[in-house]
Amino acid sequence: MSGSADGREVLLRAQQVEQFYDRRIRILGPLDLDVHDGEFLTLVGPSGCGKSTLLRIVAGLLEPTAGSIEIGGVPLVGVNRDAAMVFQSFALFPWMSVVENVALGLEARGMPPLERLKRAEKYIDLVGLSGYERAFPKELSRGMKQLVGLARALALEPELLCMDEPFSALDVLTARAMRDLVLDLWQSPAVKTKSILLVTHSIEEAVALSDRVVVLRANPGRIAEVVDLTGLARPRRPGSAEVSEVVDRMYGLLA
Amino acid sequence: MPHDATRRPGRKRSSLPVDAGVVAALLGLVALAVFASASLRPHDAPALELRPALLPAYLALSLLRLLAAYIFALLAALAVGHAAARSPAARRVVLPVLDVLQSVPILGFFPVAVAFFIRVTAGSALGVEAAAVFLIFTCMFWNLAFGVYESLATLPEDVGLAARQLGLRGAARWSRLVLPAVFPNLVYNSLLSWANGFYFLIASEIIAVGPARYTLPGLGSYLAQSVVVGRYDQTVAALLCLLAVTAAMHLLVWGPLETYAERFHFDESGDRPQVPRVARVLMRSQVVRGLLGRVVVPGAEAGFRLAGRTLDAIASRRGLQAAVALPPLVLAALAVRHGYHTFVDAPLSPALLALPGDLLLSLLRVGFGVGASALLAVPLAALVASRPRLRTPALAVIQVAASVPAAAFFPLIVALVARGLGLEGAALLLSLSTMFWYVLFNVMGAAATIPREMNEAARSLGLSRLGRLRHVFVPAVLPGLVTGCLTAWGAGWNAMILCEYLVVDGRTYAVRGIGASLDRATYEVADPQVVAASLALMVTLIVAVNRAFWAPLYQRVTTRYKLDA
Repeated sequence: MSGSADGREVLLRAQQVEQFYDRRIRILGPLDLDVHDGEFLTLVGPSGCGKSTLLRIVAGLLEPTAGSIEIGGVPLVGVNRDAAMVFQSFALFPWMSVVENVALGLEARGMPPLERLKRAEKYIDLVGLSGYERAFPKELSRGMKQLVGLARALALEPELLCMDEPFSALDVLTARAMRDLVLDLWQSPAVKTKSILLVTHSIEEAVALSDRVVVLRANPGRIAEVVDLTGLARPRRPGSAEVSEVVDRMYGLLA
Repeated sequence: MPHDATRRPGRKRSSLPVDAGVVAALLGLVALAVFASASLRPHDAPALELRPALLPAYLALSLLRLLAAYIFALLAALAVGHAAARSPAARRVVLPVLDVLQSVPILGFFPVAVAFFIRVTAGSALGVEAAAVFLIFTCMFWNLAFGVYESLATLPEDVGLAARQLGLRGAARWSRLVLPAVFPNLVYNSLLSWANGFYFLIASEIIAVGPARYTLPGLGSYLAQSVVVGRYDQTVAALLCLLAVTAAMHLLVWGPLETYAERFHFDESGDRPQVPRVARVLMRSQVVRGLLGRVVVPGAEAGFRLAGRTLDAIASRRGLQAAVALPPLVLAALAVRHGYHTFVDAPLSPALLALPGDLLLSLLRVGFGVGASALLAVPLAALVASRPRLRTPALAVIQVAASVPAAAFFPLIVALVARGLGLEGAALLLSLSTMFWYVLFNVMGAAATIPREMNEAARSLGLSRLGRLRHVFVPAVLPGLVTGCLTAWGAGWNAMILCEYLVVDGRTYAVRGIGASLDRATYEVADPQVVAASLALMVTLIVAVNRAFWAPLYQRVTTRYKLDA
């Protein structure tokens, strides 16, 4: 693995990635991006900047028209088994209970029933849903559904957690609570996953959470700037002078 | 998946009565099977024994044929519908082919298919049985395949991506994603398929190839023969039997399955999925629980895995796809060759000249049937939609009514003719009895998807009952209405073959039309030229109208009136 500026290893490297719509219209790139081991990286930008597209390419759910994704120097083919995804629309399976949803990925990976049940229960507990194992998604609030989505992704214990606007379908209060939870889990020794790639359109959210923020511009999606926030101490209080200054600077970048 | 809803502590009720019932039912089934196999007759015997005591055996045989055909139809529909939803290349082939075959009058092609099966099996009883099962299959398959395609094509994109991301592949993908996702639609369409199967039972159990006629023992042949010889009391007995079976299936199979299917809907919210009442009652029986735990659940899981693997193999291997597609292609080639010789080797029949006029008359009848069905179905569906409690009984009535074969109405029609309604009126009524259910069924299906908020918005805006019908209900059900009319249009041509030419109590009742010409050429004078020409004319007209009228209409209606913004 190659080193990086802040001394962390590179977990995943996107090189000259491009995406076209209908073979003619360029919607993304070409762009390069490194995701470092153990960092909280956020892609932020206006709608149509291709941030969700880039995330899907990183997760191996979408093949880029050109360019490549490398993990530890090995090019990615097909679905990225080192990553797990949290969807904006939750994408839970309505015909399965909470625990079945969370254990599904483990089952697909061939984990024995008892072990996967234990693992699923651990992560259901970690996101604070213990007691709801046998509930069906229909019976849960939107916030709780997204907690199931989060537990389902974390239970795979992936190197990289990909989150596609995970808080946009939630109300403001729930979204803030979930943000704090994600941060807590990321810092908790109980959770194996230490690298997070988040996509959001909210600059405040990006500043509140990230080590680095990649600001994207639209038509076609390109990197406008990469802002390093490792110097900004946590917890970051919204409205504090340091935070406001960074937020304002980023609004300036997008204007 | 085990469901713990059944292991509810507290109320402990005796399992004895349910146990006894289950055992009695199982024994009854065995007895019926033994009885049925004992009363089997040689397949080419000239006539059926019309003793009402034999009715249960005939019924069991018919049900077995329907079940076999349904299993084939289900597997084929899953493979084909899934392929069409997954690969654009397959979609370009499958959808037009399904579209044409669905609206082509299957009845007209029965003789060709039957000749094929009987030749392949050298005229053995098994061949005739296979032919009958194939004929029933053709009535059941199309709407199932479309249903599978539709529900997979409308699967939320993120759910498909999540399945891929979690690593679901092969058999696991089938059992955890595809089958649950298509389940509600499959239940709904299976209802229709079974009604269709019952409806065409008569045509499937009495098989005519040129001068030879094979009668398979079954409920359909019993019905038909009792009408032909004029024993209406036996017709009524057989009809009651049929009604009882369809009603029982509704109570014991489709109703519970519909309840169970609710858990597979992609709703944002709703009640906890219910366990059907029948299942809850049966679960009290220890026999059922034992069977379920030891036999059914492991068996179903193995079956699921096997089905998943088979379907996965068919879906992912070109060679297998080609192998599946081969028999229909061979059949088509044989038909073309046969048709060529029919026209070249003999002088042209004078009856051919009348066919265009016949076609026009039949077209008018089918058009009337579609229009009348639409006019009747929309208000009726609106009434049911405004009273949700009516929905389940209405579906039951539709299914039972749609299952009644047209021939069952023949005695009634004869009575009406005698009262001066005229043959024309009788033919129209008969074809309407075939077509109406398709429209009503589809309009009701579309009405069920209208979001509650939309009705609430209309009410709070102060729209009157009529205003709500005009601005909410009718636009919202238009896609369903068009689908229903399209299906009815296809079924209407089948109805022409059934209804324009009737033999009741030794007398022939016929109106002028392409269906009557086809029937006469098949059963009376054996004129292969007229058979081939009338089929070709019908198919050409149907496909042309589909392309020029229905396809653009459907396109417009679905883009303009789609419910999700």
